[in-house]
Amino acid sequence: MELSESVLKGLQALGDPVNFDMNKFTTLSELAFRGLLSSESEAVLDHPDLKQIDPIVLKHCHIALTTFILESVKQNADKSTVSSCLEDVRFDTERADALCTLYQVKYGYLKLIFQLCSLKQNKTDLENLLSSIDKCPPHITDVSWRLEYCMKNAHVHKVNQPSYLISFSVENGDNGRSSEEELNFSCTMEQLQDLVGKMKDAAKSIEKAMQL
Amino acid sequence: MLLVLSDEHKEHLGFLTEVDTAVVGEFGRIAVEFLRKGSNPKIYEGAARKLDVPAETVQHGVEGLMYLLTESSKLMISEMDFQDSVLVLGFSQELNERLLQLYLENRKEIRQILSELSPSLPHYHNLEWRLDVQLASRALRHQVKPTVTMKLHLESGGIRNARVLQTDPATLLHLIQELERGLAELKSNHCRRILRNIK
Repeated sequence: MELSESVLKGLQALGDPVNFDMNKFTTLSELAFRGLLSSESEAVLDHPDLKQIDPIVLKHCHIALTTFILESVKQNADKSTVSSCLEDVRFDTERADALCTLYQVKYGYLKLIFQLCSLKQNKTDLENLLSSIDKCPPHITDVSWRLEYCMKNAHVHKVNQPSYLISFSVENGDNGRSSEEELNFSCTMEQLQDLVGKMKDAAKSIEKAMQL
Repeated sequence: MLLVLSDEHKEHLGFLTEVDTAVVGEFGRIAVEFLRKGSNPKIYEGAARKLDVPAETVQHGVEGLMYLLTESSKLMISEMDFQDSVLVLGFSQELNERLLQLYLENRKEIRQILSELSPSLPHYHNLEWRLDVQLASRALRHQVKPTVTMKLHLESGGIRNARVLQTDPATLLHLIQELERGLAELKSNHCRRILRNIK
């Protein structure tokens, strides 16, 4: 795992018992994870437990820790990689374990957030942090349909044709903003059969690919 | 259902009784052509010169035929009703036969042309799809995320456009299931009864 010098220094400062005793360290770790996962960002600098620490050091450590968490998740780092990395910056063992446990517990959730963040960027903290994340085409989330029987219109009478109105719910996950829209179109029975047939082909090929 | 022809319309068509049946046939051909491609006033003038009548009379004659054809096609009136409707024009039996022929031969196409005028949503044209597995992105490595990318081609008023959309396998199965329910509904007793009774 490659980390910048600033992050390494921040982690070193975090591991220094002069700056952080075990309680303060746990508080900051929890705040860092919460800051990433929750939309209500808690001000680290104003936290009562962390008041005594020099704000510049605290800020540096917080940034370093957050970057470290994101980088670990991004690289899919396992416990031993994280541990060895933390030992490299001279963490004592007790602390490294505390961070690792937290990391393991929140790991799955955080990773999920990563995968979802291009879709569900309602988490304002993540928006700012992960604004450069994965862009993908609009995502279909649902479909609704309506069956109609057209009898006549101003120009032609006795049309007597059934037709479907299809409405795809589409989610746009552009950076920082997520918007829903409806994509409406009509089709005849034959056209709908064609559409469903092609979707089934796609589903079948997924099934085949899964068996490989 | 009989067509109700206005006096003005009858008067315009009255011109057809004064000319040769071959000319009526030609007018019929022109009327259908104009319905397909839009009218062309030059043709009126040319025909008027040949027949030695005002261009307006020719125009009225052709337009009268066009109106007769569109109205009868719109209402999809039967052979019998068409014959009864044109009876009031006092044409010869031969002319009536010709008009009926003209109507029956072109009804389908005229209805097709007319149906293009009706308001419609963009409608389905084609769907292309591709199966992708996302392996990594800038923010996250080591992923295995299957996605189905689809290009949906829609057509509206003769203009085609395509949208690129994406979905995940689980949603795709849900979409298929939901749309199949829609298709099945058409075969339900309720729909079949209505389709049978509205004819």
